[in-house]
Amino acid sequence: MQQLLNGIFIGSIYALFAIGFTLVFGILDRLNLAHPAVFAASAFVGIELVERGGLSLWAALPIVFVFGAVVGLVIERVAFRPLKNRADAHFAGLISSIALAGMLIALLQWRYGPDTRRFPPGSFPDTRFEVFGAQVTLVQVVILVVSLALMVGLTYMVTRTRLGRGMRAVAENPTAARVLGVNVDRVTAVTFAISSALGAVAGVLFAINVNTAQLGMGAAIELKGLAVIIVGGMGSLPGALIGGLLLGLAEVFAVQYIGSSWVNVIAFGLLFVILLLRPQGLLGARKVREV
Amino acid sequence: MLDQYATTLTFIALGAIFAYSFYAVLIAGQLSLGQAGFASLAAFSGAYLAPADVADVPALLIAVAIGMSVGALGAVVLGLPTMHLRGVFLAIATLGFAEAVRVVLLNQEWTGGAQGLGVPRVLTVGMAWTALALVAYWFWRMGRSRYGRALEAIREDELAARSMGIDVGRHRLAAFITAGAVAGLYGVLYAYYVRLIAPNDFDFVAAVEGLVTAVVGGSTMFLGPLLGSGFQTIVPEIQRAVGVEAGWIRPFLASLLLLVVILFLPGGLASLIPRRTRMPSGDGDDSAAGLAGRRHPAAGEPVVTLAGLSKEYGGVHAVRGVDLEIRAGEVVGLIGPNGAGKTTLVNMVSGLVPPSSGSATVLGTTIGSTPVHRIAAAGVSRTFQHSKLFNRLSALENVLVGAHLVSRPTFLRRLLWLPSARRDERAALRQAARCLERVGLSELAGSRAEALSYGDQRRLEIARALASDPSLLILDEPAAGMNHVEAARLSELIRSLARDGLTILFIEHNVGMVLQTCTRVVVLNFGEVIASGAPDEVAADPAVIEAYLGSADDDAGESPLAGDARSGATAAGAGDAPPDAVANVRPGAAGTLDTPDTSRDAT
Repeated sequence: MQQLLNGIFIGSIYALFAIGFTLVFGILDRLNLAHPAVFAASAFVGIELVERGGLSLWAALPIVFVFGAVVGLVIERVAFRPLKNRADAHFAGLISSIALAGMLIALLQWRYGPDTRRFPPGSFPDTRFEVFGAQVTLVQVVILVVSLALMVGLTYMVTRTRLGRGMRAVAENPTAARVLGVNVDRVTAVTFAISSALGAVAGVLFAINVNTAQLGMGAAIELKGLAVIIVGGMGSLPGALIGGLLLGLAEVFAVQYIGSSWVNVIAFGLLFVILLLRPQGLLGARKVREV
Repeated sequence: MLDQYATTLTFIALGAIFAYSFYAVLIAGQLSLGQAGFASLAAFSGAYLAPADVADVPALLIAVAIGMSVGALGAVVLGLPTMHLRGVFLAIATLGFAEAVRVVLLNQEWTGGAQGLGVPRVLTVGMAWTALALVAYWFWRMGRSRYGRALEAIREDELAARSMGIDVGRHRLAAFITAGAVAGLYGVLYAYYVRLIAPNDFDFVAAVEGLVTAVVGGSTMFLGPLLGSGFQTIVPEIQRAVGVEAGWIRPFLASLLLLVVILFLPGGLASLIPRRTRMPSGDGDDSAAGLAGRRHPAAGEPVVTLAGLSKEYGGVHAVRGVDLEIRAGEVVGLIGPNGAGKTTLVNMVSGLVPPSSGSATVLGTTIGSTPVHRIAAAGVSRTFQHSKLFNRLSALENVLVGAHLVSRPTFLRRLLWLPSARRDERAALRQAARCLERVGLSELAGSRAEALSYGDQRRLEIARALASDPSLLILDEPAAGMNHVEAARLSELIRSLARDGLTILFIEHNVGMVLQTCTRVVVLNFGEVIASGAPDEVAADPAVIEAYLGSADDDAGESPLAGDARSGATAAGAGDAPPDAVANVRPGAAGTLDTPDTSRDAT
């Protein structure tokens, strides 16, 4: 039971991270590899807000959300918009976002140094609950609630609001969307902002969950994020949620029953099987090729 | 003097070889990150299996042989199940493979696990650069061979490449295997240089670095990976030399430079090197050595036989129950209002779309499960409604790809500089030049296809389709976007092709031109054939007039269509059409919006 809950907690963070990833891919067809750098940066920023700003953990979350959104706008502006009309936009976008991620990580190193950082002692409330005989901290509950709330909010926004309709229109066909009066550039920018804001919150929650922030934490979750969005179905939001939870659970149980050194084989074994059997992912739609 | 820079130079060579393993697939438009896995497998198996009781250099050579075989084998094993994946999906699947390899090797005893495996240092700067030169030579000779062009065509437009008769699956797999072998070479050389290899040397970061090197250098020119590796290796060295302190500044500047290169040099560093565009040489003295000819069906033999052919898209009957026979030498015009199913019909005939029911035989090939490239090989060639040119290739290269089916493979002979390869390439060039001349594009042979005007692009598509010496030529709205002078010229071209014995099936909205050009007109409406026959009969058919202009009752006078038809038909009979005989009538087109082709498959 304890393992099940742990799997859900970590899985919800994976899902939140992956949803940001898949949002950009699903709507804009671009893989933003600066996303993991946002994840790492926000963890450091979150720690600094608590440590120096004296904010409580919860007050830091919205600020980090805004921080992520701003970084997302920068990423779109610098790494993606200049490339949008190029024939090789796909490859070039990958590389330019890798470059931007490298710059971001270098800046983190400048400001925070190369060492692992932690939240100041006493920043976590030590309230604990007992659920079906398993220990759950308040922090873990908050992680789950925040993740789920953001995902529900995002789903509502994409399916019900005007902005969300614009996003889906751009996803279908950017040219037609433009002809019909959708401001494609603005929708694109907002998509990046939301995506990075989600990634940022995921970064802080991750840092809270394990109480560390490292420069390499983005790279560590990057592979998992990629696996999750493939398993769930590229561009599918509920797919990323399910994929994230699945991966969280698989990891926790793999550690317990097989050994920690094989964890990544589980994730990628799963990924590989899915790709072979159902390339569009669990919940992805198969794109019809145009002739 | 060289000693001082030996380490840097060796790493440039190693980095370049690894980047070539990415280049090998990027040139075919495939994004793979599995090379780290191939390199890892090769490094460990090569170092582990190489005999210990021979001298250093033979041991290295044996290890290289083992490593390259293992890498190629790994590519086959990974490639067969994943070749249907595209773009990012392929990248992530191959990345998954590389990660799995890393974790498995990490948990093996013979690899030394995380501690790694000790390997003697055998590799010298000279050896590394020799290996690099061989790899670069391979890709240099590949560039202008038939095989190299086919890979580039697949990168630019896979569907069009298929229609030119290129077996995309086999070519992609071949590119993948090359990548595996080159990555294997890199793995072994790396192992014999750094003394100690661990599975973590071939992780995700390493794979991304290899990809970045290849893209920064430029993935469309064979020198790209070398330039990329030089750039990636020298930038940190220069920073150290000029005294930039370690820490955050170095990675920051390196990333910044990478960003600048990718944003401002679209073709990578290699785009700084001017690229010679090849032109057909004027001396056509050895004209005897032409391309392999094709036996065309004699006039009157059936070329296309359709029986009850239907296509449904989820309840929508795009085409239903079409029976049609086209005989050799005919010029058949397929007309009908928008959405009548014309394009679906020709897509079925050319094998791009399998029919839902009914049967079709085209040049002796049964349509349905036959792959597109086989149908092309039987002698079918086509153009597309929305131009599907190989955009970043020159006009001449586009047509050379079109000649894929009638030219002979030249890559292996080019590696050995055999004169026969040169002869074959020249013959293909002449064929391409002739096709360009025929459509009047000789002057623009060296221009990139994407830089041509719309009308020129349509003509280039026709030249490309002609290059394969087809028996059946299918044109999908060839005159779209042409003015009446150009359309009249196109009409003359089509008739001259028919005189050469080609059978032609073409869709066109310019009814005047169709009536003037064709020997037979087939009218499609709501997926069914409503009329078929000689141009003037069809133009007078009440059913056709109704399909185009609505009910015939309120149209007491002479319909514009019929009038146009009459003048067109007489003009065709007289043989000297005034340029304005072809009125650009597009009935049924009003109020429809053809969205441009925005299929975003980047690979």
